[in-house]
Amino acid sequence: MVGNSGEMVSVSGIYKRYKDLPVLLNLSFDIPKGSIFGYIGPNGSGKTTTIKIMTGLIRDFQGEVSIEGRSIRNWSSELSSTIGYLPQQTSLQEWRTVDQTLYTFGRLSGLQASEVDKRIKEVTEMLGIAEYRKRKVSKLSGGTLQKVGMAQAMLHRPKLMVLDEPVAGLDPESRVLFKNLFRQLSREGTTIFFSSHILSDIEDVADTIGILGQGRMRYMGSMEELRERVGRSTEVSLETVEPIPDDRLLESLPGVSKVERVADNRFHIILQENGQIDTVVDSAIRAVLAQGLHIRGIHPNRQSLESLYLSYTDGEGRP
Amino acid sequence: MSLALLFKDELNGFYRSKVMLALWVGLPAMAVLLYFLVDNIEGMSITFFTGIMVSSIGGLLTSVLIVVNILNEKEKKVYDLFLIRPIRRENLLLAKFGAVFLCVMVASFIAITLAAVLDSATEGYDVQEILSSMKDSLIITVSIMAINCSAGVLIGVFSPSVLVGVLLVLFGSNQLSSMVLLPMITGWGEMWMVGLASIGISALLLFGAALVFRHKEF
Repeated sequence: MVGNSGEMVSVSGIYKRYKDLPVLLNLSFDIPKGSIFGYIGPNGSGKTTTIKIMTGLIRDFQGEVSIEGRSIRNWSSELSSTIGYLPQQTSLQEWRTVDQTLYTFGRLSGLQASEVDKRIKEVTEMLGIAEYRKRKVSKLSGGTLQKVGMAQAMLHRPKLMVLDEPVAGLDPESRVLFKNLFRQLSREGTTIFFSSHILSDIEDVADTIGILGQGRMRYMGSMEELRERVGRSTEVSLETVEPIPDDRLLESLPGVSKVERVADNRFHIILQENGQIDTVVDSAIRAVLAQGLHIRGIHPNRQSLESLYLSYTDGEGRP
Repeated sequence: MSLALLFKDELNGFYRSKVMLALWVGLPAMAVLLYFLVDNIEGMSITFFTGIMVSSIGGLLTSVLIVVNILNEKEKKVYDLFLIRPIRRENLLLAKFGAVFLCVMVASFIAITLAAVLDSATEGYDVQEILSSMKDSLIITVSIMAINCSAGVLIGVFSPSVLVGVLLVLFGSNQLSSMVLLPMITGWGEMWMVGLASIGISALLLFGAALVFRHKEF
Protein backbone atom coordinates (compact mmCIF):
# COMPACT_ATOMS: atom_id res chain seq x y z
CA MET A 1 0.00 0.00 0.00
CA VAL A 2 1.23 3.46 -0.87
CA GLY A 3 0.63 6.63 1.07
CA ASN A 4 -0.11 7.50 4.65
CA SER A 5 -3.02 8.92 6.58
CA GLY A 6 -2.04 12.55 5.82
CA GLU A 7 -2.13 12.08 2.08
CA MET A 8 -5.20 12.06 -0.08
CA VAL A 9 -3.33 10.96 -3.20
CA SER A 10 -0.06 9.15 -3.54
CA VAL A 11 1.42 8.61 -6.99
CA SER A 12 4.51 6.47 -7.14
CA GLY A 13 6.72 5.63 -10.11
CA ILE A 14 4.17 5.96 -12.87
CA TYR A 15 5.22 5.00 -16.35
CA LYS A 16 2.81 5.33 -19.24
CA ARG A 17 3.39 5.16 -22.96
CA TYR A 18 1.10 5.26 -25.97
CA LYS A 19 2.57 2.77 -28.41
CA ASP A 20 6.12 4.07 -28.91
CA LEU A 21 5.49 7.44 -27.33
CA PRO A 22 6.46 7.69 -23.66
CA VAL A 23 4.19 10.12 -21.82
CA LEU A 24 4.91 9.67 -18.13
CA LEU A 25 8.34 8.63 -16.90
CA ASN A 26 8.67 7.67 -13.27
CA LEU A 27 6.16 10.24 -12.10
CA SER A 28 5.78 10.46 -8.34
CA PHE A 29 4.07 12.90 -6.04
CA ASP A 30 1.84 13.08 -2.97
CA ILE A 31 -1.08 15.39 -2.31
CA PRO A 32 -1.89 16.20 1.31
CA LYS A 33 -5.52 16.05 2.41
CA GLY A 34 -7.40 19.31 2.10
CA SER A 35 -4.81 20.98 -0.11
CA ILE A 36 -5.26 22.69 -3.45
CA PHE A 37 -2.75 21.23 -5.86
CA GLY A 38 -2.05 23.12 -9.08
CA TYR A 39 -0.64 20.94 -11.84
CA ILE A 40 1.15 22.77 -14.64
CA GLY A 41 2.92 21.60 -17.73
CA PRO A 42 3.32 22.34 -21.42
CA ASN A 43 0.92 20.84 -23.95
CA GLY A 44 1.46 17.13 -24.31
CA SER A 45 3.44 16.86 -21.10
CA GLY A 46 1.08 14.24 -19.68
CA LYS A 47 -1.25 16.22 -17.42
CA THR A 48 -4.46 14.71 -18.77
CA THR A 49 -2.91 11.24 -18.79
CA THR A 50 -2.03 11.67 -15.11
CA ILE A 51 -5.58 12.76 -14.38
CA LYS A 52 -7.08 9.85 -16.31
CA ILE A 53 -4.89 7.41 -14.39
CA MET A 54 -5.94 8.97 -11.08
CA THR A 55 -9.62 8.68 -12.01
CA GLY A 56 -9.36 5.10 -13.21
CA LEU A 57 -10.11 5.93 -16.84
CA ILE A 58 -6.68 4.65 -17.85
CA ARG A 59 -5.88 1.33 -16.25
CA ASP A 60 -2.93 0.18 -18.30
CA PHE A 61 0.09 1.78 -16.67
CA GLN A 62 3.08 0.87 -14.54
CA GLY A 63 3.44 2.16 -11.01
CA GLU A 64 1.11 2.71 -8.14
CA VAL A 65 -1.58 5.23 -7.34
CA SER A 66 -3.51 5.26 -4.11
CA ILE A 67 -6.31 7.44 -2.89
CA GLU A 68 -6.74 7.64 0.86
CA GLY A 69 -4.40 4.68 1.08
CA ARG A 70 -6.48 2.49 -1.25
CA SER A 71 -4.81 1.35 -4.43
CA ILE A 72 -6.73 2.26 -7.57
CA ARG A 73 -5.76 -1.14 -8.97
CA ASN A 74 -8.60 -2.46 -6.82
CA TRP A 75 -11.18 -0.02 -8.10
CA SER A 76 -14.28 -0.08 -5.96
CA SER A 77 -17.57 1.74 -5.54
CA GLU A 78 -16.20 3.37 -2.41
CA LEU A 79 -13.20 4.67 -4.32
CA SER A 80 -15.42 6.03 -7.12
CA SER A 81 -17.55 7.88 -4.62
CA THR A 82 -14.44 9.55 -3.19
CA ILE A 83 -13.68 11.28 -6.48
CA GLY A 84 -15.35 14.14 -8.32
CA TYR A 85 -14.04 14.63 -11.83
CA LEU A 86 -14.29 17.47 -14.32
CA PRO A 87 -12.80 16.60 -17.73
CA GLN A 88 -11.01 19.05 -19.97
CA GLN A 89 -14.12 19.37 -22.11
CA THR A 90 -17.42 18.77 -20.43
CA SER A 91 -19.34 16.44 -22.74
CA LEU A 92 -22.84 15.49 -21.74
CA GLN A 93 -25.69 13.72 -23.49
CA GLU A 94 -27.23 16.61 -25.32
CA TRP A 95 -30.87 15.61 -25.10
CA ARG A 96 -30.89 15.94 -21.32
CA THR A 97 -31.73 19.05 -19.37
CA VAL A 98 -29.32 20.29 -16.72
CA ASP A 99 -31.60 18.87 -14.03
CA GLN A 100 -31.79 15.45 -15.70
CA THR A 101 -28.02 15.37 -16.14
CA LEU A 102 -27.31 16.23 -12.53
CA TYR A 103 -30.01 13.91 -11.23
CA THR A 104 -28.55 10.92 -13.08
CA PHE A 105 -24.98 11.66 -12.02
CA GLY A 106 -26.07 12.28 -8.45
CA ARG A 107 -27.96 9.01 -8.26
CA LEU A 108 -25.15 7.07 -9.94
CA SER A 109 -22.76 8.53 -7.38
CA GLY A 110 -24.84 7.04 -4.61
CA LEU A 111 -27.04 9.92 -3.47
CA GLN A 112 -30.60 9.09 -2.47
CA ALA A 113 -33.39 10.47 -4.66
CA SER A 114 -34.59 12.87 -1.97
CA GLU A 115 -31.06 14.17 -1.36
CA VAL A 116 -30.23 14.67 -5.03
CA ASP A 117 -32.87 17.35 -5.58
CA LYS A 118 -31.63 19.27 -2.57
CA ARG A 119 -28.02 19.06 -3.69
CA ILE A 120 -28.87 20.06 -7.26
CA LYS A 121 -30.53 23.19 -5.89
CA GLU A 122 -27.51 23.94 -3.69
CA VAL A 123 -24.78 23.47 -6.27
CA THR A 124 -26.60 25.20 -9.13
CA GLU A 125 -27.17 28.21 -6.89
CA MET A 126 -23.56 28.10 -5.77
CA LEU A 127 -22.41 28.15 -9.38
CA GLY A 128 -24.98 30.67 -10.56
CA ILE A 129 -26.70 28.32 -13.00
CA ALA A 130 -30.01 27.79 -11.19
CA GLU A 131 -31.87 29.57 -14.00
CA TYR A 132 -30.61 26.99 -16.53
CA ARG A 133 -31.85 23.93 -14.68
CA LYS A 134 -34.69 23.22 -17.08
CA ARG A 135 -32.65 24.02 -20.17
CA LYS A 136 -31.30 21.35 -22.49
CA VAL A 137 -27.57 20.79 -22.34
CA SER A 138 -27.30 21.35 -26.10
CA LYS A 139 -28.60 24.90 -25.66
CA LEU A 140 -25.98 25.96 -23.11
CA SER A 141 -22.98 28.20 -23.74
CA GLY A 142 -19.48 26.82 -23.21
CA GLY A 143 -19.05 28.60 -19.89
CA THR A 144 -22.40 27.42 -18.52
CA LEU A 145 -21.64 23.89 -19.67
CA GLN A 146 -18.37 24.07 -17.77
CA LYS A 147 -20.30 25.09 -14.67
CA VAL A 148 -22.68 22.15 -15.13
CA GLY A 149 -19.56 19.98 -15.36
CA MET A 150 -18.33 21.47 -12.11
CA ALA A 151 -21.75 20.91 -10.55
CA GLN A 152 -21.73 17.20 -11.38
CA ALA A 153 -18.19 16.90 -9.98
CA MET A 154 -19.11 18.36 -6.58
CA LEU A 155 -22.67 17.04 -6.35
CA HIS A 156 -21.91 14.00 -4.18
CA ARG A 157 -19.51 15.90 -1.90
CA PRO A 158 -16.39 14.00 -2.95
CA LYS A 159 -13.32 14.11 -0.76
CA LEU A 160 -11.10 14.57 -3.80
CA MET A 161 -11.88 16.71 -6.82
CA VAL A 162 -9.81 16.10 -9.93
CA LEU A 163 -10.28 18.94 -12.38
CA ASP A 164 -8.70 19.06 -15.81
CA GLU A 165 -8.26 22.71 -16.80
CA PRO A 166 -11.42 23.80 -15.00
CA VAL A 167 -11.10 27.52 -15.67
CA ALA A 168 -10.12 27.33 -19.33
CA GLY A 169 -12.67 29.12 -21.47
CA LEU A 170 -14.37 30.88 -18.58
CA ASP A 171 -14.90 34.62 -18.43
CA PRO A 172 -13.03 36.53 -15.68
CA GLU A 173 -16.09 36.63 -13.42
CA SER A 174 -16.54 32.88 -13.64
CA ARG A 175 -12.85 32.30 -13.03
CA VAL A 176 -13.09 34.24 -9.81
CA LEU A 177 -16.20 32.23 -8.91
CA PHE A 178 -14.40 28.94 -9.50
CA LYS A 179 -11.32 30.03 -7.57
CA ASN A 180 -13.42 31.14 -4.62
CA LEU A 181 -15.22 27.83 -4.80
CA PHE A 182 -11.92 25.94 -4.70
CA ARG A 183 -10.92 27.86 -1.59
CA GLN A 184 -14.29 27.23 0.05
CA LEU A 185 -14.20 23.51 -0.73
CA SER A 186 -10.64 23.28 0.52
CA ARG A 187 -11.64 24.96 3.78
CA GLU A 188 -14.36 22.34 4.13
CA GLY A 189 -11.76 19.59 3.79
CA THR A 190 -12.00 18.70 0.12
CA THR A 191 -8.70 18.04 -1.63
CA ILE A 192 -8.50 19.71 -5.01
CA PHE A 193 -6.18 18.67 -7.81
CA PHE A 194 -6.42 20.83 -10.87
CA SER A 195 -4.43 21.42 -14.00
CA SER A 196 -4.27 24.61 -15.94
CA HIS A 197 -2.42 26.49 -18.62
CA ILE A 198 -3.54 29.70 -17.00
CA LEU A 199 -0.65 30.01 -14.65
CA SER A 200 -1.88 33.07 -12.83
CA ASP A 201 -4.97 31.12 -11.80
CA ILE A 202 -2.85 28.44 -10.21
CA GLU A 203 -0.66 31.05 -8.56
CA ASP A 204 -3.75 32.67 -7.08
CA VAL A 205 -5.34 29.64 -5.58
CA ALA A 206 -3.01 26.65 -5.29
CA ASP A 207 -1.13 26.04 -2.08
CA THR A 208 1.02 23.39 -3.71
CA ILE A 209 2.29 23.44 -7.27
CA GLY A 210 3.56 20.65 -9.46
CA ILE A 211 5.34 21.37 -12.72
CA LEU A 212 5.32 18.55 -15.20
CA GLY A 213 7.78 18.49 -18.05
CA GLN A 214 8.60 15.69 -20.45
CA GLY A 215 6.76 13.15 -18.37
CA ARG A 216 8.51 13.96 -15.09
CA MET A 217 7.66 16.14 -12.14
CA ARG A 218 10.13 18.99 -12.52
CA TYR A 219 9.10 20.79 -9.39
CA MET A 220 6.70 20.29 -6.55
CA GLY A 221 6.25 22.62 -3.61
CA SER A 222 4.83 25.98 -2.61
CA MET A 223 5.08 29.17 -4.65
CA GLU A 224 7.61 30.64 -2.24
CA GLU A 225 9.76 27.54 -2.46
CA LEU A 226 9.53 27.70 -6.22
CA ARG A 227 10.75 31.28 -6.27
CA GLU A 228 13.67 30.38 -4.09
CA ARG A 229 14.45 27.32 -6.13
CA VAL A 230 14.37 29.14 -9.43
CA GLY A 231 16.69 31.69 -7.85
CA ARG A 232 15.94 34.62 -10.12
CA SER A 233 16.52 38.06 -8.77
CA THR A 234 13.43 39.98 -7.95
CA GLU A 235 13.28 43.56 -8.98
CA VAL A 236 12.20 46.97 -7.73
CA SER A 237 10.39 49.53 -9.87
CA LEU A 238 11.33 53.11 -9.20
CA GLU A 239 9.71 56.23 -10.60
CA THR A 240 10.98 59.70 -9.79
CA VAL A 241 9.45 63.09 -10.49
CA GLU A 242 12.60 64.41 -12.13
CA PRO A 243 14.82 62.43 -14.49
CA ILE A 244 17.85 60.71 -12.95
CA PRO A 245 20.81 61.80 -15.07
CA ASP A 246 23.09 58.83 -14.35
CA ASP A 247 22.21 55.14 -13.89
CA ARG A 248 25.32 54.64 -11.79
CA LEU A 249 23.54 56.31 -8.91
CA LEU A 250 21.39 53.18 -8.61
CA GLU A 251 23.85 50.60 -9.95
CA SER A 252 26.31 51.43 -7.20
CA LEU A 253 23.84 50.56 -4.46
CA PRO A 254 24.62 47.43 -2.42
CA GLY A 255 22.73 44.31 -3.54
CA VAL A 256 21.90 45.67 -6.99
CA SER A 257 22.74 43.46 -9.94
CA LYS A 258 21.79 45.85 -12.73
CA VAL A 259 19.51 48.73 -13.57
CA GLU A 260 17.20 48.89 -16.60
CA ARG A 261 16.11 52.36 -17.62
CA VAL A 262 12.53 52.24 -18.87
CA ALA A 263 12.19 56.03 -19.24
CA ASP A 264 14.14 59.08 -18.07
CA ASN A 265 12.50 58.86 -14.67
CA ARG A 266 11.54 55.13 -14.53
CA PHE A 267 13.85 52.25 -13.65
CA HIS A 268 13.81 48.55 -12.95
CA ILE A 269 16.40 47.75 -10.34
CA ILE A 270 17.34 44.08 -10.57
CA LEU A 271 18.47 42.62 -7.28
CA GLN A 272 21.30 40.20 -6.73
CA GLU A 273 19.42 38.13 -4.16
CA ASN A 274 15.85 38.01 -2.94
CA GLY A 275 16.78 38.62 0.66
CA GLN A 276 18.14 42.12 0.08
CA ILE A 277 14.99 43.70 -1.21
CA ASP A 278 14.33 45.80 1.89
CA THR A 279 17.92 47.05 1.94
CA VAL A 280 17.82 48.00 -1.74
CA VAL A 281 14.51 49.84 -1.42
CA ASP A 282 15.82 51.73 1.60
CA SER A 283 19.15 52.65 0.03
CA ALA A 284 17.50 53.61 -3.29
CA ILE A 285 15.20 56.03 -1.50
CA ARG A 286 18.10 57.53 0.41
CA ALA A 287 20.26 57.87 -2.69
CA VAL A 288 17.56 59.57 -4.75
CA LEU A 289 16.56 61.96 -1.98
CA ALA A 290 20.22 62.79 -1.37
CA GLN A 291 20.38 64.03 -4.94
CA GLY A 292 17.54 66.44 -4.24
CA LEU A 293 15.17 64.47 -6.43
CA HIS A 294 11.62 63.44 -5.56
CA ILE A 295 10.15 59.94 -5.65
CA ARG A 296 6.80 59.36 -7.28
CA GLY A 297 6.70 55.65 -6.50
CA ILE A 298 8.83 52.67 -5.54
CA HIS A 299 7.70 49.08 -5.16
CA PRO A 300 9.14 45.58 -5.33
CA ASN A 301 8.05 43.50 -8.33
CA ARG A 302 7.16 39.97 -7.42
CA GLN A 303 7.84 37.57 -10.19
CA SER A 304 4.76 35.91 -11.60
CA LEU A 305 4.52 32.17 -11.69
CA GLU A 306 4.58 32.43 -15.46
CA SER A 307 8.04 33.97 -15.56
CA LEU A 308 9.23 31.54 -12.93
CA TYR A 309 7.69 28.65 -14.78
CA LEU A 310 9.26 29.65 -18.08
CA SER A 311 12.66 30.10 -16.51
CA TYR A 312 12.31 26.77 -14.77
CA THR A 313 11.32 24.88 -17.86
CA ASP A 314 13.49 26.98 -20.16
CA GLY A 315 10.53 27.31 -22.47
CA GLU A 316 10.86 23.69 -23.50
CA GLY A 317 9.93 21.90 -20.36
CA ARG A 318 13.56 21.58 -19.19
CA PRO A 319 14.72 22.88 -15.86
CA MET B 1 -29.97 0.31 -9.47
CA SER B 2 -27.65 1.82 -12.08
CA LEU B 3 -28.99 -0.35 -14.92
CA ALA B 4 -32.60 0.62 -14.24
CA LEU B 5 -31.69 4.29 -13.97
CA LEU B 6 -29.57 4.23 -17.11
CA PHE B 7 -32.24 2.32 -19.01
CA LYS B 8 -34.91 4.84 -18.03
CA ASP B 9 -32.59 7.66 -19.05
CA GLU B 10 -31.71 6.14 -22.41
CA LEU B 11 -35.37 5.42 -23.08
CA ASN B 12 -36.17 9.02 -22.29
CA GLY B 13 -33.57 10.14 -24.79
CA PHE B 14 -34.30 7.70 -27.58
CA TYR B 15 -38.05 7.74 -27.83
CA ARG B 16 -37.98 11.44 -28.65
CA SER B 17 -35.00 11.34 -31.01
CA LYS B 18 -35.45 12.27 -34.67
CA VAL B 19 -34.62 8.79 -35.92
CA MET B 20 -37.13 7.24 -33.54
CA LEU B 21 -39.77 9.73 -34.58
CA ALA B 22 -39.17 8.64 -38.17
CA LEU B 23 -39.57 5.01 -37.10
CA TRP B 24 -42.70 5.71 -35.03
CA VAL B 25 -44.33 7.16 -38.12
CA GLY B 26 -42.41 5.32 -40.83
CA LEU B 27 -42.96 1.72 -39.80
CA PRO B 28 -46.77 1.91 -39.49
CA ALA B 29 -46.82 3.95 -42.71
CA MET B 30 -44.91 1.14 -44.37
CA ALA B 31 -47.70 -1.29 -43.48
CA VAL B 32 -50.27 0.99 -45.10
CA LEU B 33 -48.13 1.49 -48.20
CA LEU B 34 -47.57 -2.23 -48.60
CA TYR B 35 -51.31 -2.76 -48.35
CA PHE B 36 -51.99 -0.35 -51.17
CA LEU B 37 -48.93 -0.96 -53.36
CA VAL B 38 -48.36 -4.72 -53.24
CA ASP B 39 -50.76 -6.91 -55.15
CA ASN B 40 -49.29 -10.35 -54.99
CA ILE B 41 -46.78 -11.44 -52.38
CA GLU B 42 -46.78 -15.13 -53.18
CA GLY B 43 -49.56 -16.05 -50.79
CA MET B 44 -48.08 -14.16 -47.86
CA SER B 45 -50.36 -12.05 -45.75
CA ILE B 46 -49.72 -8.32 -45.53
CA THR B 47 -49.09 -8.86 -41.81
CA PHE B 48 -46.30 -11.34 -42.44
CA PHE B 49 -44.80 -9.34 -45.29
CA THR B 50 -44.92 -6.19 -43.17
CA GLY B 51 -43.07 -8.05 -40.43
CA ILE B 52 -40.26 -8.94 -42.81
CA MET B 53 -40.05 -5.46 -44.32
CA VAL B 54 -40.26 -3.67 -40.97
CA SER B 55 -37.59 -5.86 -39.41
CA SER B 56 -35.33 -5.51 -42.43
CA ILE B 57 -35.54 -1.75 -42.91
CA GLY B 58 -36.15 -0.91 -39.26
CA GLY B 59 -33.37 -3.24 -38.17
CA LEU B 60 -30.88 -1.58 -40.48
CA LEU B 61 -31.85 1.90 -39.35
CA THR B 62 -31.73 0.85 -35.73
CA SER B 63 -28.27 -0.63 -35.89
CA VAL B 64 -27.00 2.46 -37.71
CA LEU B 65 -28.64 4.59 -35.02
CA ILE B 66 -26.91 2.68 -32.23
CA VAL B 67 -23.52 2.65 -33.95
CA VAL B 68 -23.59 6.38 -34.64
CA ASN B 69 -24.82 7.12 -31.15
CA ILE B 70 -22.13 5.08 -29.40
CA LEU B 71 -19.36 6.37 -31.66
CA ASN B 72 -20.41 9.98 -31.15
CA GLU B 73 -20.54 9.52 -27.40
CA LYS B 74 -17.16 7.80 -27.44
CA GLU B 75 -15.61 10.55 -29.53
CA LYS B 76 -17.05 13.31 -27.36
CA LYS B 77 -15.86 11.50 -24.22
CA VAL B 78 -19.39 11.39 -22.85
CA TYR B 79 -18.68 8.09 -21.11
CA ASP B 80 -15.88 9.52 -18.93
CA LEU B 81 -18.32 11.00 -16.46
CA PHE B 82 -20.24 7.73 -16.22
CA LEU B 83 -17.23 5.46 -15.96
CA ILE B 84 -15.71 7.25 -12.97
CA ARG B 85 -18.87 6.53 -11.03
CA PRO B 86 -19.62 3.30 -9.19
CA ILE B 87 -21.42 1.51 -12.01
CA ARG B 88 -20.76 -1.59 -14.02
CA ARG B 89 -19.38 -0.46 -17.37
CA GLU B 90 -21.48 -2.90 -19.38
CA ASN B 91 -24.66 -1.41 -17.90
CA LEU B 92 -24.16 1.60 -20.16
CA LEU B 93 -24.37 -0.66 -23.19
CA LEU B 94 -27.17 -2.85 -21.90
CA ALA B 95 -29.26 0.23 -21.09
CA LYS B 96 -28.74 1.58 -24.58
CA PHE B 97 -29.53 -1.76 -26.18
CA GLY B 98 -32.65 -2.21 -24.08
CA ALA B 99 -33.97 1.29 -24.71
CA VAL B 100 -33.52 1.19 -28.48
CA PHE B 101 -34.81 -2.36 -28.73
CA LEU B 102 -37.94 -1.53 -26.76
CA CYS B 103 -38.61 1.60 -28.80
CA VAL B 104 -38.30 -0.13 -32.18
CA MET B 105 -40.30 -3.10 -30.98
CA VAL B 106 -43.19 -0.88 -29.95
CA ALA B 107 -43.04 0.87 -33.35
CA SER B 108 -42.88 -2.51 -35.09
CA PHE B 109 -45.78 -3.85 -33.04
CA ILE B 110 -47.91 -0.87 -34.07
CA ALA B 111 -47.00 -1.46 -37.73
CA ILE B 112 -47.74 -5.18 -37.59
CA THR B 113 -51.03 -4.65 -35.74
CA LEU B 114 -52.02 -2.10 -38.35
CA ALA B 115 -51.14 -4.57 -41.10
CA ALA B 116 -53.24 -7.24 -39.36
CA VAL B 117 -56.19 -4.87 -39.26
CA LEU B 118 -55.76 -4.16 -42.98
CA ASP B 119 -55.43 -7.89 -43.67
CA SER B 120 -58.63 -8.65 -41.84
CA ALA B 121 -60.40 -5.93 -43.78
CA THR B 122 -59.33 -7.55 -47.06
CA GLU B 123 -59.29 -11.25 -46.33
CA GLY B 124 -62.09 -11.42 -43.83
CA TYR B 125 -61.96 -11.58 -40.07
CA ASP B 126 -60.38 -14.82 -38.90
CA VAL B 127 -58.99 -14.29 -35.42
CA GLN B 128 -56.91 -17.47 -35.36
CA GLU B 129 -55.31 -16.77 -38.69
CA ILE B 130 -54.60 -13.15 -37.87
CA LEU B 131 -53.10 -14.00 -34.51
CA SER B 132 -50.95 -16.70 -36.06
CA SER B 133 -49.74 -14.34 -38.75
CA MET B 134 -49.04 -11.66 -36.16
CA LYS B 135 -47.14 -14.11 -33.99
CA ASP B 136 -44.87 -15.17 -36.84
CA SER B 137 -44.32 -11.58 -37.88
CA LEU B 138 -43.46 -10.55 -34.36
CA ILE B 139 -41.03 -13.42 -33.87
CA ILE B 140 -39.22 -12.46 -37.07
CA THR B 141 -39.21 -8.80 -36.12
CA VAL B 142 -38.00 -9.38 -32.57
CA SER B 143 -35.29 -11.73 -33.82
CA ILE B 144 -33.94 -9.46 -36.51
CA MET B 145 -34.19 -6.32 -34.39
CA ALA B 146 -32.43 -8.01 -31.47
CA ILE B 147 -29.52 -9.09 -33.65
CA ASN B 148 -29.29 -5.71 -35.34
CA CYS B 149 -29.36 -3.84 -32.04
CA SER B 150 -26.76 -6.06 -30.39
CA ALA B 151 -24.54 -6.01 -33.49
CA GLY B 152 -24.88 -2.21 -33.50
CA VAL B 153 -23.67 -2.10 -29.89
CA LEU B 154 -20.66 -4.32 -30.63
CA ILE B 155 -19.71 -2.42 -33.78
CA GLY B 156 -20.15 0.89 -31.97
CA VAL B 157 -17.82 -0.21 -29.19
CA PHE B 158 -14.87 -1.31 -31.31
CA SER B 159 -15.31 0.64 -34.54
CA PRO B 160 -12.77 3.47 -34.97
CA SER B 161 -15.03 5.77 -37.00
CA VAL B 162 -18.63 6.34 -38.04
CA LEU B 163 -17.85 5.42 -41.66
CA VAL B 164 -16.31 2.09 -40.71
CA GLY B 165 -19.17 1.49 -38.30
CA VAL B 166 -21.86 2.10 -40.91
CA LEU B 167 -20.06 -0.10 -43.45
CA LEU B 168 -19.83 -2.88 -40.90
CA VAL B 169 -23.54 -2.55 -40.22
CA LEU B 170 -24.39 -2.70 -43.92
CA PHE B 171 -22.18 -5.68 -44.65
CA GLY B 172 -22.20 -7.34 -41.27
CA SER B 173 -25.13 -6.98 -38.97
CA ASN B 174 -27.70 -6.77 -41.73
CA GLN B 175 -26.48 -10.01 -43.32
CA LEU B 176 -26.15 -11.70 -39.94
CA SER B 177 -29.68 -10.83 -38.95
CA SER B 178 -31.02 -12.11 -42.27
CA MET B 179 -29.35 -15.47 -41.66
CA VAL B 180 -31.69 -16.31 -38.81
CA LEU B 181 -34.51 -16.46 -41.35
CA LEU B 182 -32.79 -19.35 -43.14
CA PRO B 183 -34.54 -22.14 -41.20
CA MET B 184 -37.87 -20.64 -42.12
CA ILE B 185 -37.03 -19.87 -45.75
CA THR B 186 -35.47 -23.26 -46.47
CA GLY B 187 -38.36 -24.98 -44.78
CA TRP B 188 -36.23 -27.25 -42.57
CA GLY B 189 -36.84 -25.34 -39.40
CA GLU B 190 -39.55 -24.01 -37.20
CA MET B 191 -40.30 -20.47 -36.21
CA TRP B 192 -39.19 -21.10 -32.61
CA MET B 193 -35.73 -21.94 -33.96
CA VAL B 194 -35.54 -18.46 -35.42
CA GLY B 195 -36.33 -16.99 -32.02
CA LEU B 196 -33.86 -19.21 -30.24
CA ALA B 197 -31.08 -18.54 -32.71
CA SER B 198 -31.59 -14.82 -32.43
CA ILE B 199 -31.47 -14.92 -28.64
CA GLY B 200 -28.21 -16.87 -28.78
CA ILE B 201 -26.59 -14.61 -31.37
CA SER B 202 -27.73 -11.43 -29.63
CA ALA B 203 -26.45 -12.63 -26.27
CA LEU B 204 -23.11 -13.52 -27.83
CA LEU B 205 -22.79 -10.14 -29.53
CA LEU B 206 -23.70 -8.26 -26.34
CA PHE B 207 -21.28 -10.35 -24.32
CA GLY B 208 -18.52 -9.51 -26.80
CA ALA B 209 -19.41 -5.82 -26.65
CA ALA B 210 -19.38 -5.84 -22.84
CA LEU B 211 -16.02 -7.60 -22.81
CA VAL B 212 -14.43 -5.06 -25.16
CA PHE B 213 -16.04 -2.12 -23.35
CA ARG B 214 -14.95 -3.34 -19.93
CA HIS B 215 -11.29 -3.23 -20.94
CA LYS B 216 -11.41 -0.20 -23.16
CA GLU B 217 -9.44 2.92 -22.28
CA PHE B 218 -11.08 6.26 -22.85
